[in-house]
Amino acid sequence: MIQWLVFLLFSALAVLSALGVVLLPNPIYVILSLLSTLVAIAGIFFVAGAELVGALQLLIYVVAVTVFYVFVLTAVPWEKALKKDSHYRVAGLFSFPLIPLLYAEMLLVFLIGVSVSPKGEFRKLIQKFGNVEVIGGILFSKYFLAFELVSLVLLIGMIGAVIIGRKEAQTYDNHTP
Amino acid sequence: MTTIPLEAYLTLSVILFGLGVFGMIVRRNMVTVLMSMELALNAVNVLFVGADAHLSLVDGQVFALFIIALAAAEAAVGLGIIIAIFRLRKVDSTDEITDMRG
Repeated sequence: MIQWLVFLLFSALAVLSALGVVLLPNPIYVILSLLSTLVAIAGIFFVAGAELVGALQLLIYVVAVTVFYVFVLTAVPWEKALKKDSHYRVAGLFSFPLIPLLYAEMLLVFLIGVSVSPKGEFRKLIQKFGNVEVIGGILFSKYFLAFELVSLVLLIGMIGAVIIGRKEAQTYDNHTP
Repeated sequence: MTTIPLEAYLTLSVILFGLGVFGMIVRRNMVTVLMSMELALNAVNVLFVGADAHLSLVDGQVFALFIIALAAAEAAVGLGIIIAIFRLRKVDSTDEITDMRG
């Protein structure tokens, strides 16, 4: 019962903050709202019993990624965005039926794919160890190749961010109509 | 332990993912478009972890960790691209970048 109560509290906080992320005009308020959403989602992870994922959500998302966004907002003049309209209002209104269509497409792809796939048999119940130990064991045995590939992707992303973000010799004017 | 049904996680994930996609469409500033994308990625993470709690597996949590790592890389590269666009073109809005006639 108390678990339901905590889950509903975190869900309400997450949904309200997500509405703030989508609707607020000022980018600084948007990043604060995103921070609140990420903390609430970390709480949902803790409620679901995923301590490692919740802790890493707090460490990586809430601390690292959000601070990174704040740094980028200092480099981009977000005050200019306040003078203009912050949303595509008419286009957003017309694109609203697109989202149920997107859900329908995902559901269709999932159902078609599952209906022709062979039945998986790797469902084994691991309950007697702690969460972190079990995830570490399965991460370094069954998903070890994916783990190494993620490290490669992070390296490539770091190199790409450095190369893309370096200073160019000249700047180009905006000639597009 | 699993007193919360899968439908609750599913509903929350659907709402958050829809809000993220809607924000990606409707936002004008490029940085806020990336923030909406983070919201959609987190919605997928909620579904993975919720399905894990329902099935009492840990595979989905491993995938959630992968998604968190890839989201960090995506934020680095995406924000680098935004800073490069701003430095080269002095624009920060998505309707001013029309080179591909989109």
